[in-house]
Amino acid sequence: MLRKTCRGLFVLLLLVLEWTRPGLPSPLRPICDLRVLNHFIQEARDAEVAMKLCREGCGLTEVVSVPQTTVNFDDWEKKNATEQAQEVQTGLWLLQQALSLLRTSMTNSELNSHIDNTIRNIHSITAVLRSLNFQEYTPPASTVGLEGTWRVSSAAELLQVHLNFLRGKVRLLLLDAQACQQDVS
Amino acid sequence: MTCDQLVRLVALSLMFCAAGAAGIVQGAQDFRRKASMLLKEEPKNPKCFAESKKDFACFWEEAEERAGSVDQYSFTYAYQNENSSMCPLEVLPAAGGKRLFICRLTRVQMFVQLDVQVYREGMQIHNRSLLIELLFLLDPPKNVTVSTMGHQGQLNVSWVPPSLKYMDDSMIYEVLYALADSHVGQVEAIQACSEMILRGLEAGTKYRVQVRVNLDGITYDGYWSAWSDPVFIETLPAELDPLIVSLTFIVSFILVLLCLAMLLSHQRFLIKKLWPVIPTPDSKFQGLFTVYGGDFQEWLGQTSGSIWLTSPFIVSEECPCPLEVLSELNLCPPLSSPPLPPKASKALTLVINEEMVLKKGLLDRESVDRVDSVQTNGWRTHHHDHWLLDRLREVQQHPVPSSQSSLLESQDTYITLSGNRRTEERHMEDSLEEALPLGVLFGSRKTPMSESHSDLGSVQQSSGSGNLSSQSSFEFPNHAWIAKDPGYTYMAVADSGVSMDYSPMSRADDMSKVVIYANDYKNEIPPHRRPFLVRQYPVHDDG
Repeated sequence: MLRKTCRGLFVLLLLVLEWTRPGLPSPLRPICDLRVLNHFIQEARDAEVAMKLCREGCGLTEVVSVPQTTVNFDDWEKKNATEQAQEVQTGLWLLQQALSLLRTSMTNSELNSHIDNTIRNIHSITAVLRSLNFQEYTPPASTVGLEGTWRVSSAAELLQVHLNFLRGKVRLLLLDAQACQQDVS
Repeated sequence: MTCDQLVRLVALSLMFCAAGAAGIVQGAQDFRRKASMLLKEEPKNPKCFAESKKDFACFWEEAEERAGSVDQYSFTYAYQNENSSMCPLEVLPAAGGKRLFICRLTRVQMFVQLDVQVYREGMQIHNRSLLIELLFLLDPPKNVTVSTMGHQGQLNVSWVPPSLKYMDDSMIYEVLYALADSHVGQVEAIQACSEMILRGLEAGTKYRVQVRVNLDGITYDGYWSAWSDPVFIETLPAELDPLIVSLTFIVSFILVLLCLAMLLSHQRFLIKKLWPVIPTPDSKFQGLFTVYGGDFQEWLGQTSGSIWLTSPFIVSEECPCPLEVLSELNLCPPLSSPPLPPKASKALTLVINEEMVLKKGLLDRESVDRVDSVQTNGWRTHHHDHWLLDRLREVQQHPVPSSQSSLLESQDTYITLSGNRRTEERHMEDSLEEALPLGVLFGSRKTPMSESHSDLGSVQQSSGSGNLSSQSSFEFPNHAWIAKDPGYTYMAVADSGVSMDYSPMSRADDMSKVVIYANDYKNEIPPHRRPFLVRQYPVHDDG
């Protein structure tokens, strides 16, 4: 009876120490399930379809930079994981900036919800990448002349680029993430 | 180099050329097959599809007579934010006298918009914007394997998915299974998995299984591939599951036990219904079958008459016996007006009763004599009988005129009996009822009697309130025969012994004054009682 009581107290002590342990936060659990990304992709498609039907109050006030979405599998496979991650993170940052600019100039209330949702999804994808131990991205001082970017002037083009970027490079990066490969093995 | 080496070199070259040609031919066959599928499914032109991550082809079809040479056409394409490029065309003959113009892109880029234009002699004939990753037309799955895996009614299907990296989790498959000789089958779908278990199949049956592949449409999309080559396999034959067999046996055993229990509990009832006891008269006729072998006459001759007489089956009343209804004898001096004293009425009733009984006894005797002459001794010695007979003879010899007929026909008498003696009348009627088991006394109305007077058969109905439920033969002709023998009143009754309920019928002109007595054979008292009325009706004796 005494032994059992001692064991219980010992376990309780360990738990308390674990909770109150100071130091770095524990790493996030890697998110390797692609169904999360599939959900984001479907919402991005819905936003693009809605934007194509918009005639008024849904235009960009200025030209914005967006990431290139072109994927050649041979070229992609030639890049290493770091380059791939940097390319994806840069693209996500650019898209976030462009969508934020579009949100300020949007007057259509229905499309505003789509834009807000899209911006939230980009934040979520960034968190997923962080969970996969990808290096934190440092945004450049200026996006003008940045390699691997395009310039778009319409909201429809912007959302089309956003959709293609998620389906292409972001998905390829998550598929090849080392953290997910380690879990499988 | 020697001649042998040259010959070997030439042979190898020829082989490679042949293999290449065969491959080219096979490739052309495959392309034609896919092109024919797209021609049915894709309405836009040019029709484009990707077979892998690195192959992309566009084509259009033109009739032989309308198509020009390949030089007349030009195919240009341009990716988003890039310059346009030209694509060399090739021509392939198709079925039905058609020609296919094909462009195969060597540099494939996905997740970017591609603009395609086709020109013929400077004029644009086709234009299209597309995304290559959404136009996959894959080859059907290879190495489709079907096995039973030792399970009844099941088939395990496995296949090798198309070797496309990054697309494995986006592929969806459809498995078609049907009876070997049937064109209609069922389709089961599965995603991102290269094997499937088919359940619910018939045992010992041959099935045909085919598989095709497509992409899920989220990241990649395309057209359903062609069905793979069919695989035929027969399911395992039906086997009796030991558990099911044992349960069936136990349930059957329990049901049999229940049936037996039911049968045993209703044994007597069932035996009685299935094998009813056939009654035999052996017990009633002692020695008839055992001694005399069924010879009834011999048995009668050997046995004493008492057995026959005491037999309960011999009932005298079943024989039709003629009943003589006597008119009321005027035993007392006729009364003018005073009502009959109860004693006198009772005496009168008693006399009538005794006469009835006597007559009945005499009649019974006669009927018995007809059957057997054994039982008349007891009746003849009765002193009272003699006295009544004498009285009767006197009445017959000196009939009372019809105008001054019996006492019962006297209006005053009837009135006296009915009117002032109501309470006693009922008592009288009750006593009469008991004393006259077979007495039938009734008066008749004119109308009903005229209807029924010639009825020689059974009386179907009677007037008043009574019902005739049995058959009695009454024969009473009209007034004519009253004149014949007016002083004699009797009636023969043949009664079958079944219940009878009479209500008397009175003459129409006497209805208001005459009260009729109804003697109920079954001792039922009709609702309205009346004293009886004896009428003069000569009756033909049926006996």
